[in-house]
Amino acid sequence: MLSNSVMQIVALMEIAISSAILLALLMQELFFKAEGAVRMVALRALVCFVLANLLFWPVFTLISPLELPLAAYVRGFTGELSITAMLLLWTAYISPKEIHVPAGVKVWIALVAIVFYPLALGVSMLDPYAWGFGSFTLLAAVIATALFAWLAGFNRIAIILALSILAWAVGWHESANLWDYILDPFLGLWAIGSLIWSAWRGRAAQAQTGYLFRKG
Amino acid sequence: MMRIASLCILALAAVAGYIQIDSRPPWTSFPMPAALESELLVPEAATPVAGKKPQVSAQVSIPEPRAQFIPETAAPSVHAGSAILLNDGNLRAFWFAGSREGATDVVIQTAVFDAKAGNWGKSEVVIDRVAAEKGLSRYIKKLGNPLPVRSSQGKLQLYFVTVSVGGWAGSSISWMESSDEGVTWSRPQRLITSPALNLSTLIKAPGFDFTDGTLGLPVYHEWMGKFGELIRIDGGRVIDKRRMSSGRALLQPIVFIDAPEKAVAYFRQARSEGPARIASAQTENAGQSWASGIDLDLANPNAAIAGLQLSNGDRLIALNDLESARYRLVLAIAPAGTSNWNVIAELESDQTRINGLYREFSYPSLLLGANGEVHLIYTYDRKKMKHIQFDRRWIESKKNQKGSS
Repeated sequence: MLSNSVMQIVALMEIAISSAILLALLMQELFFKAEGAVRMVALRALVCFVLANLLFWPVFTLISPLELPLAAYVRGFTGELSITAMLLLWTAYISPKEIHVPAGVKVWIALVAIVFYPLALGVSMLDPYAWGFGSFTLLAAVIATALFAWLAGFNRIAIILALSILAWAVGWHESANLWDYILDPFLGLWAIGSLIWSAWRGRAAQAQTGYLFRKG
Repeated sequence: MMRIASLCILALAAVAGYIQIDSRPPWTSFPMPAALESELLVPEAATPVAGKKPQVSAQVSIPEPRAQFIPETAAPSVHAGSAILLNDGNLRAFWFAGSREGATDVVIQTAVFDAKAGNWGKSEVVIDRVAAEKGLSRYIKKLGNPLPVRSSQGKLQLYFVTVSVGGWAGSSISWMESSDEGVTWSRPQRLITSPALNLSTLIKAPGFDFTDGTLGLPVYHEWMGKFGELIRIDGGRVIDKRRMSSGRALLQPIVFIDAPEKAVAYFRQARSEGPARIASAQTENAGQSWASGIDLDLANPNAAIAGLQLSNGDRLIALNDLESARYRLVLAIAPAGTSNWNVIAELESDQTRINGLYREFSYPSLLLGANGEVHLIYTYDRKKMKHIQFDRRWIESKKNQKGSS
């Protein structure tokens, strides 16, 4: 287990890097969509480095009424991201060309999130969150998911899940609950949102094809 | 090569995960309150014998309850007081104070009650919002309920509610520790109790140590559902959590332990329909699972209650026994293991309204003093913290009056 002071610094750095990546992706989407240069890994890393530093150090407290580094404001709202969400984001940023998360994995994340969150928020007396504290079954289920991903050839997913379990086992974050290392609401919403988005795009494409076909 | 490497990392993770689960302390039993362990449940004052009226008046004079306000601060609004017994026999109380509940200027304050002299010292700030957010390395919007706890290692700890986003439903719990009985405090740390951005876990009532020294704290969840939960804390981290109720109506559980595996919890009733009564739940496996029980015959206007196990086996609850509003505060008593609650004393009652609103005597907290005396701390009309000290012979005489009337 990390000491509290080290854990706080590590957690704030993680949030700063994740926020920097999201900002960089947003800027890229808005302003540099056509530029080939953003594909250079070194440039992407540099942009992330600069932004993350601006977020991590309390630079703005000197020139504004802010009391904390910007990343601490983000952390106030989000808490720690799960290790899986964080590493998926980071690796997607560093190697943008790869196909990141296969649809099957997204479906699995979405299904788990849809069942898990209502129960964890008190729909019945059944609380799956409690399993995260010491259930061999939950651990086995996560390992089985990672093994499936490995068998299907998704090395990266398998490694990310393995690292999440390791982070939980060494007490990397404040939580002692395995769920907090493998799933968070952002990951769940992203999986659901991206499935809906691709289904909608698929239907739109199909409608377009149908239209052309009829016309021809 | 990469394939083999990833499989190796996975195998390592499996082993580390197994060791982690295996090293966690297994669930254990409740501690027995000293009063219930002993067969000699004879209080100092005469116990009424069936058919014989107790002769309260014939006894030596019984000290009347002593009421006083904890010295005021400049804050216009105070709330959520609770206290703990210090090693020297004095009390230390904590509460929050600010321009109004939920304001950014709310701080957690403390004061010490000199048990020998019978008066309160000056109140001081324990932590304010900015110190909390710097210590926790994250933005904090407001501070809430403080709860002092004596750790199994004997140190004084303070658990307190903070909110970063939204109202009280956005609460999380943090804690800090003191090596000098509350004069100075460590850097605060956050408890992670909920998977949805760690939102919505609050504390009100004191907990207990399990027999292995881990801390059991009855907490409650307020967002979407309103239900009680028992969290188990080891080394400052939540290592287990069990639901005590479900649904949208029960808050702020208090726990009375009956036996090493048995306990009962009573809840603040927040349902919008149905009788406004204190709700209950029981466990028969040391808190691992809870089943809802029947409501007590005590009214509850969606207001906090406080409970205390006395050394003679009786139990006390301080409550607002009304269906709405909090203008009356009473003490009720029942023998351990029963739900025969009887209101024995009215402590506050004032039906005058100011701007259409009743005054409020609420959010009680009970504590057993070093000599068996009972201390009650509560919010007096949101403006002051009030403290009443009861001699246990006075409680006994009130109980006997009730029993004989």
